[in-house]
Amino acid sequence: MAAPLLEIKDLVTVFHTSDGRLPAVDGVSLSIERGQTLGLVGESGCGKSVTAMSTLRLVSSPGRIESGSIMFTTEGESIDLVTTPEKQLRQVRGGRIGMIFQEPMTSLNPVFTIGNQIAEAVQLHRKVSRSEARSRALEMLHLVRLADPEQRLDAYPHQLSGGMRQRVMIAIALACEPDLIIADEPTTALDVTIQAQILELLDDLRSRLGTAILLITHDLGVVAETCDDVAVMYAGRIVEQASAVELFSRPLHPYTIGLLQARPNVDARDSGPLETIPGMVPPPQDFPSGCRFHPRCSHAREPQCNVEPPSLREVSPGHFVRCHFAEEINS
Amino acid sequence: MSEQNPQTDPPLLQVKGLETHFPIRKGLLRRQVGSVKAVDGVTFDIPRGKTLGLVGESGCGKTTVGRSLLRLVEPTGGEVLFDNHAVRKENARSLRSLRRRMQIVFQDPYGSLNPRMKIRSILEEGLILHRLGERSARLEQMEQALERTGLSPAVLERYPHEFSGGQRQRIAIARALVLKPEFLVLDEPVSALDVSIQAQVINLLKELKQELGLTYLFISHDLSVVEYLADNVAVMYLGQIVESAEAGQLCQQPLHPYTLALFSAVPSVEVKNRRQRIVLAGDVPSPSRPPAGCRFHPRCPLAETVCREVEPPQVDLAGHRFHCHVASRELERCGGDAAKTSVVMQAAITAATSDSTEPHSAVSQRMSLDHQ
Repeated sequence: MAAPLLEIKDLVTVFHTSDGRLPAVDGVSLSIERGQTLGLVGESGCGKSVTAMSTLRLVSSPGRIESGSIMFTTEGESIDLVTTPEKQLRQVRGGRIGMIFQEPMTSLNPVFTIGNQIAEAVQLHRKVSRSEARSRALEMLHLVRLADPEQRLDAYPHQLSGGMRQRVMIAIALACEPDLIIADEPTTALDVTIQAQILELLDDLRSRLGTAILLITHDLGVVAETCDDVAVMYAGRIVEQASAVELFSRPLHPYTIGLLQARPNVDARDSGPLETIPGMVPPPQDFPSGCRFHPRCSHAREPQCNVEPPSLREVSPGHFVRCHFAEEINS
Repeated sequence: MSEQNPQTDPPLLQVKGLETHFPIRKGLLRRQVGSVKAVDGVTFDIPRGKTLGLVGESGCGKTTVGRSLLRLVEPTGGEVLFDNHAVRKENARSLRSLRRRMQIVFQDPYGSLNPRMKIRSILEEGLILHRLGERSARLEQMEQALERTGLSPAVLERYPHEFSGGQRQRIAIARALVLKPEFLVLDEPVSALDVSIQAQVINLLKELKQELGLTYLFISHDLSVVEYLADNVAVMYLGQIVESAEAGQLCQQPLHPYTLALFSAVPSVEVKNRRQRIVLAGDVPSPSRPPAGCRFHPRCPLAETVCREVEPPQVDLAGHRFHCHVASRELERCGGDAAKTSVVMQAAITAATSDSTEPHSAVSQRMSLDHQ
């Protein structure tokens, strides 16, 4: 079997601060196949964005990738993004791997036209003339279905709405035909009807261009609607991983179950208060011993849960859970 | 809104034709060249002890409605009756005493608490302003309010930065409760919170409402939260309410194309039955130049000639109110059966949106209409 497009193994990213060594990402392993969408879900502070930033080695000081490997395989050639020289990595960033950030308002440069910004991405990675880059930019705006692309080419970011800016971000990310797009909360700042447009667009581009997507989000609904596979993160670790269909029909980790039950809906209205997960996500300086979820878990039992850190085990084919009692919770 | 029992009191809050327009000024003389019609003729009632959920996308005017009720921004037209007091006609002094009874909780718990004030001063400010009680009585009231929101009195001596988002929102709720209000405007109170924390705050709001008999205007862009908390729901688009009904009725039998699209756009975790998502074209137009006729027509997949020219009148079907030419015609055809009409509308929209085999041109056409 060919190597997956991206394979993260035992990634550890730490921040050295006055509070000591904080492992924001603590042994995360993920893999993405070509043309697939992997959803990485979790609440704020669980380490999902740091995982994404680590993948492109964009974590800045005091953060540092301490160990692990990130193998990226294209055209039969594998490179480790953790150790590859900066010069080669620059070819990968924006070239083979595109990135879409949450805030389209702040990630576009306000003093350049959007045509310039897309053309810049093309010229950095391809030997093309300015006019060729410009026509490529126009082509990209057509591809992401921005209205009036000819006129918008010379527009500045402030002249566009949030949804249009996010389309431009996607155009920049796709300009060099990357094999992988890392999308960090691409729709969080948008309204639901605009979110639906952007998700539809991403899915359409994935099926037409075969681009794999690593989608980072806190919204389980977005994951359920767009992803093939899902990994749930909690306190720097992956606690459950499975195909989307499997995870949502048979969640096994108490945290995943808690997140799903905490979602309000009209059917739950007359059945009393919402199920909640007591307490809150611990910051990295006070990660609990044993299972990091045990202080908030209703199934937690001493002495296992508070002492022994559970490993991520395969409970059924393709379904991985980090819980001592996954089988019991399921039955 | 609908089930007004004639024997009970009139609704606690009655809003009739509320308008809040912001002037656009230009030039040396700051002459008014136009206005942003943020709220443009909004009418609703909230009976005592009930919750009205106000939903809509950014820029639809829902926040301005909330602020206009308390006159945090001055409405430019219409009527607001709070417990039979005409809020718009009150002078500064009587408005202040009304505001003790109407409080507001804002969206961003990071921006709404002054970082330089201790929680004690934040909570006490309102009590002092309204001259409520002596020092010891004030302390008692503050402790009560904190306890109600699940915080210990020890937080009084701490500063906002020492708390997490969920705790800050509890403090903001305690600040509103300390004045013993009857009516709360909740402006996106859980939007900035994580899912597990969101559920805790939602439960708290529900509990408080039952225990204290509070009346809420719950403003949110999140339909699932509104469905869960509200008794009645009103959907806003471009400064107007396009559809309103009892919460269950609205969720199960939405009639307005915008409501239908809004519901279908909410991502669901039911993987097995991924719904046919209705994807609306374009963005919300600017409220300074709302489209003629039905304001939704440039984005509506079912828009007809009449929609572009005539503003749709309100249809009231036993409390289920909506403004839509197409839906009212279909309702007539279905013999006044809302359930059937809702299914027909859903099918028509699904057909109309998936029909466009050349989505590119159709989309850009409609989008360019939006931006003209």
